[in-house]
Amino acid sequence: MSIELKLSRINRVYRPSEVVEGKIIVRSSSSISHYGIRLAVNGSVNLQVRGGSAGVIETLVGVAKPISIVNKIVEVRPSGKIASGTSEIPFSMNIKQPGEKKLERFYETFHGANINIQYLLTVDISRGYLHKSLSTTMEFIVESDRADLLERPVSPEMVIFYLTQDTQRHPLLPELKSGGFRVIGKMSTLCCLSDPIVGELTVEASAVPICSIDMHLLRVESILLGEKIVTEQSLIQTTQIADGDVCRNMTLPIYVLLPRLLTCPTVLAGPFSIEFKVAIVITFQSDVAKVHSKSDPTTPRLWLAMESLPLELVRTS
Amino acid sequence: MEFRPRNYSAEKQAHALPRVRAGDHPLSAPSSLPHLQVEVVDHGDTEFFDPLRRSDNNAEAAREDLVDIETSSGAGLSSEASIQNPSKEWASFKRSLMQRFPVSKTVSTSSMSDVMVKGRKTYEKSSTSMHLEELDDPEKFAEEGGKVITGQEYVSRLHELKAELTRAWHADDRVTSLKISIKVARLLMDTSVLQCYPTLFALATDILDMLGDMVWERIKLKAEFDEDETKFCFLPENFSASDVCSDAKETCNNWFCKIGAVRELLPRIYLELALLPCWRFLVDQPLDSLRRLVMMTRGLADPLASAYCRLYMSHCMRKLPSHDTGCLLTCANDFKIVLMRVISAEETSHGNLSDNKRLLVGLMEPTIEFIMKCIFKNMSERQVGDVLIELGLGDNQVELFGRFPYVSIVLHHLLKQLPSEVVSSRAVEILRLIELSNDDSFDQCLNYRLLGFRLCERSQIDTANAVVDKAIQVIVQYDGLDEYLKVADAYVDIILQNHMDDHLNSILEGISKRACSEEIADDEMATLQSILVKLLSYYKDLEDIFSMNHFLKILDLMYGSSRSIVNMHILDIGIRNGCICDPRTIQFLLEISQALHQDENFGNLKDDTNQPARLISQFVSLVDYGAEMESQLAFLVECRGYFGGIRGLKETLIHSSNCLAIKALKDGNRHLGFVKSCIAFSEVTLPSISPQIRQLNLYLETAEVALLGGLISHSDGLIDSAINSLQILDVLDGSRTPIDADGVLSSIQKLFSLLVMVPGNLEHGVTYLPKNLVLLLNSQSWMTPRMRVKFLCAIVSLLAALSQQNLPYHADNGKLLGNDELFFGDPSYLHELASLCQFVLQNLVDAIQQEPSMTARGSMALEACNCIASSLILSQEISSICSKLIETGKSCLSTNNRYLQSTIQFIDHLSHSSVAV
Repeated sequence: MSIELKLSRINRVYRPSEVVEGKIIVRSSSSISHYGIRLAVNGSVNLQVRGGSAGVIETLVGVAKPISIVNKIVEVRPSGKIASGTSEIPFSMNIKQPGEKKLERFYETFHGANINIQYLLTVDISRGYLHKSLSTTMEFIVESDRADLLERPVSPEMVIFYLTQDTQRHPLLPELKSGGFRVIGKMSTLCCLSDPIVGELTVEASAVPICSIDMHLLRVESILLGEKIVTEQSLIQTTQIADGDVCRNMTLPIYVLLPRLLTCPTVLAGPFSIEFKVAIVITFQSDVAKVHSKSDPTTPRLWLAMESLPLELVRTS
Repeated sequence: MEFRPRNYSAEKQAHALPRVRAGDHPLSAPSSLPHLQVEVVDHGDTEFFDPLRRSDNNAEAAREDLVDIETSSGAGLSSEASIQNPSKEWASFKRSLMQRFPVSKTVSTSSMSDVMVKGRKTYEKSSTSMHLEELDDPEKFAEEGGKVITGQEYVSRLHELKAELTRAWHADDRVTSLKISIKVARLLMDTSVLQCYPTLFALATDILDMLGDMVWERIKLKAEFDEDETKFCFLPENFSASDVCSDAKETCNNWFCKIGAVRELLPRIYLELALLPCWRFLVDQPLDSLRRLVMMTRGLADPLASAYCRLYMSHCMRKLPSHDTGCLLTCANDFKIVLMRVISAEETSHGNLSDNKRLLVGLMEPTIEFIMKCIFKNMSERQVGDVLIELGLGDNQVELFGRFPYVSIVLHHLLKQLPSEVVSSRAVEILRLIELSNDDSFDQCLNYRLLGFRLCERSQIDTANAVVDKAIQVIVQYDGLDEYLKVADAYVDIILQNHMDDHLNSILEGISKRACSEEIADDEMATLQSILVKLLSYYKDLEDIFSMNHFLKILDLMYGSSRSIVNMHILDIGIRNGCICDPRTIQFLLEISQALHQDENFGNLKDDTNQPARLISQFVSLVDYGAEMESQLAFLVECRGYFGGIRGLKETLIHSSNCLAIKALKDGNRHLGFVKSCIAFSEVTLPSISPQIRQLNLYLETAEVALLGGLISHSDGLIDSAINSLQILDVLDGSRTPIDADGVLSSIQKLFSLLVMVPGNLEHGVTYLPKNLVLLLNSQSWMTPRMRVKFLCAIVSLLAALSQQNLPYHADNGKLLGNDELFFGDPSYLHELASLCQFVLQNLVDAIQQEPSMTARGSMALEACNCIASSLILSQEISSICSKLIETGKSCLSTNNRYLQSTIQFIDHLSHSSVAV
């Protein structure tokens, strides 16, 4: 006896105003009589403090109350019988009823370190007290409604950045400090989720040979815990732009695809916020670096030069 | 038993086909051939059966079929060929790359290649348990340091990876497939194994191409078929992104996202290149992605890695439907910048490092070669100007080749690909550019050389004089022979075509001056050979070569196989014009031949295709001293001394001396002594001729010559020797092929026809020789029944001919007495012939019965019957033999066999006419 949920879309992406359709597939060697097939949809924001700037006590009591976005149950079939073999029971349900009073905004699905925004679909076939009910759960992904999307077009403006020995707020290797370097570039900081982050970068000068230039994509999750805001910054993805001591004055393109599920539109809600940053990190060739090869790439080090830029992510149609 | 009296001349006239003058030579151009054939068939003489002129219906039909196949397959091919060609070209390019840079015995892999070293372990693990962490953390293995594995292991590990990928893909495990592909692409980051990198590249890109094809097919499948595997749409060859359903787009997008998540730049570029054609499912302008990738490649600082990445790029961009030269040009320009960096770095470092740089430049060379090839493929002359400006060679259309230097290795490959019209019209400018571009990346003289060769492609060059003047100016400055020869070699053709004799002289002088002052190395010898061969193929006559200054001097400086090749060309020119009469030429060629013969490499060739031996033989046979026949014979004697070892040459000598004897005979009787000398020369030379059958034939030839000269004792001796050599024939060679046997048989028949002319020897009896031969026949076990029958028939014919009042032909126009004049009418003579004939007939009938094959036995019986009936009068005895033979024929062959019918007719005709007589 098995039960399976299958959604109409392979990528399982739905907008809140859309109807979620699919099939409940039941496989059984004998016929099953039941007291109704029910489908539940549950969307919530789960907040949990695991580390970051939180203290020990906060970690212990760190589970904030989840924020419910949607929670409803519909009956797909009244009580009856399911024949033996494979049965497919189609269903369709509105996540958001047009007239319905909404509990909370439909945030986009997001899986972070401290914040999880998740939408689950659960099917339940109850078979009375004597038998265990059959049930299964599946996650589906919610993306913002078109109606809620940003009206204004994404501005093509780029932020210009430059990295030299003088822009660094952390100590550098003496040869870096004396020899100097200059890397300039520009980058879009308002970015559409379906598009890559684009820009360009040029190494104008560097006395010390460059080992690598990387773009680190970071997420910044903040949770309001009592009076305090607990913020956690974590690395999502690293993309190398230059490998080795590249030619000077050659323009290198910046092209970073945003990983799905790990990113969502920037959210600034009351109890929590999700923001993103990009850190441009230049690693210089150095004997010291080899010893610390496993350290966190965004931690300031003697042989690194870095520049962080805030990144606002939006959903466009 | 009585021989049939024959009048040979009357019979010949009666049976000869009417002769008509032919309009065309049968071997001339076949333009009128079909017409002729039809005419012949129309005559339709059914009595005369020509096996070569069978009705052609079958062949015609077959030919039509063939044409059908060709046209149908041709249509399919033509459209496919254009697509397949680049991939074939790429495959052969990769193969040549691997051959040019073979994997060394051991490879020390650096940290990156943990996939290689840890290979076996990962292989044993089930593919699903492979952790991505292992890929993400190459540094984990850094501490272990470099490991050494054999080159073979390295290659086989890559093959394993390919098999793993195929397996994972067919198991629908896309995640593992992707992981393996990323692993493979990461391998290309490791350029520490310089020498192995091309091989690594070839094998890794092979795997990546395979992935690209599989992904393309899968997405295409998704775009055309729905989940239930029913086709809902057909994507045309030139589909646009809007034709693709969202599901397929989603899958495609997913692939690009997965690749985009790869941290390292190089594998990310490679993987996206592998999937480049898939952009077509998403956007209508995949070129935008390509342009971005071209720019991204600039982020690869390693010169070797970036060069090969650009190589792969130029391969992948050919898979897109639209072509963009712009990307290729950017690639070439970026390549140039990287190379300039490598070269300038060389100046700062010293010693061993520069060797490494040279190796590096060598390894990078194939990439620029390929990119240049792609740039200039299918390019019109009009576009070339723009391209050259884009490549930074010139500022404007007028002055395409600017006045500033260019990286010489890039220039070299550019020059290689430039359309020949551009090369020839801009030759002077290019020369100047080459002069300016002199860096360490490539030898300048090779660019001069290449220009020369490119110019040779066009028959006419307007600026030939200016170009050659400049080239000569350049080479004069070279002290070394090698550079001098390399450049001179390229311009010799132009100099010859434009009759610049002064330049030619100065080049030859330059060569001889430099060659005298230093030892000529092997590769220099090869270039020198090429120059001299060009000269030789240009001149028609040896005289021109003698008149060239320095030529013979240079020739003397040469040695080894190059010398021999040049000698062969000289010899070839020498024998090209037929007879060689000039004593100076003969002496020169004889010396050349001797040098050629003494070269060990050639002398040891023992096969029949031995070119030098063939040339020497031809030379010897073409030598003609005219009236000075004594000198010619002396020459032959000399040749025997020099070239005795050359197989086949002695045959030539014997032929020549026999020809000489005939020539002397034609000149009248006063040279009889000389003829004897010639025969004696042949006689002395003959015993050492090795293949028995050739020896036999030469004995017969010489015997005939002796007979013509009236030297009966010589001819008798030679015929005896011939029979002796026949006798030992099978002792020497047990495994005789049927073709050989046929050859022997025809030689024997030739001997019989010779015997017609030989006067009977009274001492041994007139039938001494035929009798000997019959005895010989019985002692030869290798003779098949078929050969025996032919042999015996020939004896019957011989005996019949000898019995005639007038022999069918005479030696020496009848000056020499034949058996007819000696013995005709002598009853004992006739009796002796008849009794031998009796004996032969018995043998003949027996021999026919021994043939196992029915059809063969039948036709042999008929052949014997024809022979007997035309040789002997059909007495009771003979008639019974004949009818017995016809019975044999009837029992073995079908009744409507034409040979059988005509034989019966012939016998009937003879018996009627004999009754009438």
